[in-house]
Amino acid sequence: MKGPPIWVTAVAVLVLVFLQLPVIVVAMASVSTTSYLTVPPVGFTLDWFVEVLTDKDYLEAIQTSFLLAFAATAGALVLGTAAAYALHHRMVPWADALASFFMAPLIFPAVVIGVALLQYYALIGLRWSFWGLLLAHIAITVPYVIRACLTSLAGVKGELEEAARVLGASGFTAFRLVTLPLLKPGLVAGAFFAFITSLDNVPVTIFLLGPRQSTLPVKIFTSIEHGGVDPGLAAISTLLILVTGLALVIAERWVGFSRFV
Amino acid sequence: MRRLSGAALVTPLVLVLVGVFVGPLLVMLPTSFHPYVPGQGIGTSWTLENYTVAFTDGYYREVIGRTLWMGFLVTFIALVIGYPLAYFMARTTRTWRAVATLLVMFPLFLNLVVRSFGWIALLSNRGVINTLLMDLGLTTKPIRMMFDMTGLVIGMVHIYLPFMVFMLLSSISRVPRDVEDAASTLSASPSRVFWFVTLPLTAPGILAGCTLVFVLTISALVTPRLLGGPTFKVMSTLIYDEFLVKLDWPSGTAFAFILTAIALLVIWGANRVARRVAGGAA
Repeated sequence: MKGPPIWVTAVAVLVLVFLQLPVIVVAMASVSTTSYLTVPPVGFTLDWFVEVLTDKDYLEAIQTSFLLAFAATAGALVLGTAAAYALHHRMVPWADALASFFMAPLIFPAVVIGVALLQYYALIGLRWSFWGLLLAHIAITVPYVIRACLTSLAGVKGELEEAARVLGASGFTAFRLVTLPLLKPGLVAGAFFAFITSLDNVPVTIFLLGPRQSTLPVKIFTSIEHGGVDPGLAAISTLLILVTGLALVIAERWVGFSRFV
Repeated sequence: MRRLSGAALVTPLVLVLVGVFVGPLLVMLPTSFHPYVPGQGIGTSWTLENYTVAFTDGYYREVIGRTLWMGFLVTFIALVIGYPLAYFMARTTRTWRAVATLLVMFPLFLNLVVRSFGWIALLSNRGVINTLLMDLGLTTKPIRMMFDMTGLVIGMVHIYLPFMVFMLLSSISRVPRDVEDAASTLSASPSRVFWFVTLPLTAPGILAGCTLVFVLTISALVTPRLLGGPTFKVMSTLIYDEFLVKLDWPSGTAFAFILTAIALLVIWGANRVARRVAGGAA
């Protein structure tokens, strides 16, 4: 079997380098001893990492971000898996229309969902509340769970669960002991997408935060907007790069989830 | 019984989505038909002006035109540089494919704000690229690459390229090698095989990838805001400013609906084309 032509390989390598470029630059800038952003870095220091990790505002933003991402992922997993199961087994009328409806938050521009929620929450008094933010994040992350779940369910033989039912297991027990383990790779992939999506989100979150609240990406976003580009920002960004890279490698090793992209 | 448990499984999610997705959009609809009263906010009379002004006012028309042009440029460049990469991934060894997959996926999962920040460090007047060019003596003054279309397109291509690559990859992987081999056996040159066999067979993937990238690009907020700055506006950053800076919600909501309509129209059109192509082939 002959491989791709040499020039295709060359272009592919260049494009792969282009994709890593901003990551490399941010990581390099984070260790510079200068107070301004410069690449290649001048000297080497980890002071910027210490500085951001001892900054109370950053720590609070990190805490909010992770709390929100964990809660949204858990919520999306429970609601999404239940709904996908019912859709797959056609236990509800208009299953196809419902599936499209559940995927809709993915198609609508996030900024539109953000501004719509701003006005709506102001109206019903949920503005600036964590619960409002959480529900919004469940809505924007649930499509990933539904999609991964439906893909996995298509590969699970229905007879297996029926066999368990025949042998006397209740509906939920049969699901928990037979289908759920088979769904695990899909669920892990869906959860990973959901978690990253929540952790990454700015266009919905930024409209719903109160004056003293912040999530990590919104905090970085507003800092850059106000012109505060310094190695401290590069350091907190580098930490996010490390966490993302680590999570990606673990998820890939665990379930080989690149199949679900 | 089956119906009943089915409803029990679906209802919670339906309620959440009706509550925080459909509800807000419905509430927003009437706002877009009210006038904006400076100092008071949303007026009580009814008007179509928020919509008509978007197409008659020169400034708003420029913003809409710029958004669509940006979407086109980003989609085109992502396709041209993404295709060779996807082709390479489809045809190389398993190991290289796995490595390349991780390298494409990594930036995809990396925080959007962090990636835009990386491009600021690269493209700004005192950024990496300008410093390098000046050190090499290729230019004496920094070349302006931020707060205009150049920087915006570079950053957006970087951010949405992974989507294009994965769409193309799944399409190219499905092209049966026998068909290409058959064409080669019949003495078609490699470039002829590509243009007349491989490329047409991957057309559905190209269409899907382009649709996705175009819609994501025109909807993006973070990158246009950070790389375009407060003055070089596209539709999403305009909506952001109408809401958070000017507090002109009626105008902002009208633009939100126009942006949504464009996105849905593009998806609907692409689906129709895809169905027609698939129907014609069968």
